[in-house]
Amino acid sequence: MTNVLWLQGGACSGNTMSFLNGEEPTACDLIANFGIKVLWHPSLGVELGNNLQTLLWDCVLGKTPLDILVFEGSVVNAPNGTGEWNRFADRPMKDWLIDLSQAAKFIVAVGDCATWGGIPAMSPNPSDSKGLQFLKRKEGGFLGKDFVSKAGLPVINIPGCPTHPDWITQILVAIATGRTDDIVLDELHRPQTFFNTYTQTGCTRNIHFAYKATTAEFGQRKGCLFYDLGCRGPMTHSSCNRILWNRISSKTRAGMPCLGCTEPEFPFFDLKPGTVFKTQTVMGVPKEIPPGVNHRDYAVLTVVAKDAAPKWADEDFFTV
Amino acid sequence: MGEDKRNEGDGEVIFIMPTNYQSPITNHPEVMPIQTLDISPVGRVEGDLDVRVEIENGYVTNAWTHAELFRGFEIILRGKDPQAGLIVTPRICGICGGSHLSSASWALDTAWGTEIPRNAILARNLGQIVETIQSIPRYFYGLFAIDLTNKNYRRSHFYDEACRRFAAFTGTSYEIGLTISAKPVEIYALLGGQWPHSSYMVPGGVMCAPTLTDITRAWAILEYFRTNWLEPVWLGCSLERYEEIQSYEEFQKWLNADVKHRESDLGLYWRMGLDIGLDRYGAGVGKYVTWGYIPHEDKYNKPTIDGRNAAVIMKSGVYDSFTDTHTLMNQSFARENLTHSWYDEGTEDWHPSDRTTLPTMNNNKDFGGAYSWAPAVLHQDLGRLEAGPLARQLVAGGKHGESWQHYDPFILDVFKKMGGANVHVRQIARVHEIVKLYRQAERCLREFKLNDPWYIKPKEKDGKGWGATEAARGALCHWVEIEDSKIKNYQVIAPGTWNIGPRDGAGQRGPIEQALIGTPIEDANDPVEVGHVARSFDSCLVCTVHAHDAKTGEELARFRTA
Repeated sequence: MTNVLWLQGGACSGNTMSFLNGEEPTACDLIANFGIKVLWHPSLGVELGNNLQTLLWDCVLGKTPLDILVFEGSVVNAPNGTGEWNRFADRPMKDWLIDLSQAAKFIVAVGDCATWGGIPAMSPNPSDSKGLQFLKRKEGGFLGKDFVSKAGLPVINIPGCPTHPDWITQILVAIATGRTDDIVLDELHRPQTFFNTYTQTGCTRNIHFAYKATTAEFGQRKGCLFYDLGCRGPMTHSSCNRILWNRISSKTRAGMPCLGCTEPEFPFFDLKPGTVFKTQTVMGVPKEIPPGVNHRDYAVLTVVAKDAAPKWADEDFFTV
Repeated sequence: MGEDKRNEGDGEVIFIMPTNYQSPITNHPEVMPIQTLDISPVGRVEGDLDVRVEIENGYVTNAWTHAELFRGFEIILRGKDPQAGLIVTPRICGICGGSHLSSASWALDTAWGTEIPRNAILARNLGQIVETIQSIPRYFYGLFAIDLTNKNYRRSHFYDEACRRFAAFTGTSYEIGLTISAKPVEIYALLGGQWPHSSYMVPGGVMCAPTLTDITRAWAILEYFRTNWLEPVWLGCSLERYEEIQSYEEFQKWLNADVKHRESDLGLYWRMGLDIGLDRYGAGVGKYVTWGYIPHEDKYNKPTIDGRNAAVIMKSGVYDSFTDTHTLMNQSFARENLTHSWYDEGTEDWHPSDRTTLPTMNNNKDFGGAYSWAPAVLHQDLGRLEAGPLARQLVAGGKHGESWQHYDPFILDVFKKMGGANVHVRQIARVHEIVKLYRQAERCLREFKLNDPWYIKPKEKDGKGWGATEAARGALCHWVEIEDSKIKNYQVIAPGTWNIGPRDGAGQRGPIEQALIGTPIEDANDPVEVGHVARSFDSCLVCTVHAHDAKTGEELARFRTA
């Protein structure tokens, strides 16, 4: 039996909602088939009253083994480092976190708020929010750079706004079934199995990317969203186009530019005027290009690709 | 929170007796000491809701609700790109993200004076509709029905069956209901790529241009939802049979007509809800608000703030149950009061677009002073209003508005036959909407003209805008002001803001506070009844931007005899 406690800080519940969309396995399957016991969850918890407080303290004191602490939402530190702007069970949530982080075998941060601070930590960060072990790309966060949970691992970061249900459930299952050695983390503590490839990997618009054929404006059935509409798919680490969303699609497939929400900088450029759904360019060329490609080579590639582009690359492709 | 503060607060609050509330004191001449119960937090309400109730002779006689999380979205949005709200506001609430997106885009449409193709109106509506359809089983099984398995109800002869069906994770209906709630939002993903948190609605239309295969898949998903849960499990009959119900009597007739109706989850809930007395408490403020929603695809192509009421299929309105009158709602009627909220914005009533959002540094709970991040929202003339499915359905029973707009007398009739609002009728209103929303979703799919435009590129400009919709749990709207090509002010009033709000400048209780008055508490150590009332509002505090919260759970933090 693997005990899971799920708490929320400065959260919108989006990761919980996403989690509930999971199909392989479903939230109910997790409990029925994988020996996972949800000690408590904000939306699903049954315990009430004194029982919940007892339950939390039993975890803190080690009376109940806390195998996995899942945290959703930012760690709110305002005002003045007290955390009083986010009280839970009559106590700043951050105080519960300090106690529980010492007791947990594994800690899993789900969503951008818990991993990097997310939208609440966006400038001017009124709630003084942090992620568990990062604030944006800066190491440290709330628990500190050197923190490891009882199992000897740092906080496992599953970013995304929201994160994909399968990314959560599969990590929970991996831990519950003793596959923790296979969870290889990148430098941002993300499981590589989900975050080594790019969002673009598997995108249906790849062929348009190759020929530099653009989707100049919304509501089109052709082109790639990278050149004009600010898509970050080529630069963003995620498996959104390998493990589809809601079993069925992805933002870039549907025509929505990737916002780069699995990266610590999300929302990029702090959404300053002129940066939303617009590719940042220098003399018509995207400022940011796929990682590892140098700008001169990219320019050469662009010229060749445009020359080689077939006529159909500029016509409706995903036709009725 | 200091004990002394609590006592100060207790002394200063004005006690208002609801009209349909029989004081337990008159029934029991011997006055018992007041017990004070702090519940921190009340669980499964989608958001941090802390409640303090005072109990006399086993009944709640006073109540305070406080939102316990502040994230400061209005502050974050200042100075940002005009379209930043399309990315940021869905993240206010992961449960109602599509509703926020819808409000955010309509707000920009009115500010920029865009033109919206009919396909885009339909695509936005469909996203909104499937998000709400998703929320109904997820809410009913995940958040509400679990409490029907509480030991308080073990004497009900429906108890064993309720446990078999509604027990968390393992109940037969819980499992299918929670799992199938993921299906409707697959349609959202066909339009926006994912649910939650897509931003596919933009001023001028939508980002997508669905193809034939998207539309046919969406039909198949709807059909799957209908044939695997909605009809066999939830209704025990066809949609057509259910749609015949127009009154309380016709519902009774339906209930008795067939064992399948009685034994459906809806039938079981109806009977058990009455058996355990959910119709006997939870009245509230008796006045109701909806912005209306689902703009007609041919009537809101040049959206304006003033033109909205005449363009929405589900009509806007306020229902005043004391005078039994329906009137139209208008954004200019909205007011916020911060007297009892943790903001340094004075004590006058503000129009939301004039607010400055100045959080206080010192958010001590002071029950005579400020005790919540939620503001008190008011109607300038009618005072406090309840938002939510019940409000929508009471307004749907009104004859005001345009002749072509949606009309449905059922819930208004149930409301009147039951002598006003209660926990039970709030539940019934919530779940009643699923069939009509299913029909609206079908309508969107029928009306799409795939070869017509989905987006008309607008011109950006400065100005003021307002956008609204109805999230699953009630009235939602955004005000945006753009100056020098950036956001000068952004304000949101979420359904939770209407319902969760603390006392206003005149000391009047907020809707949930008021609804708690008269609630019987069988076991003060396990006040499930308080949870019923709070959850009947489906109060999502993560949605109350001014209020903020993000949790759930249920914990009796303290219990003392004052």
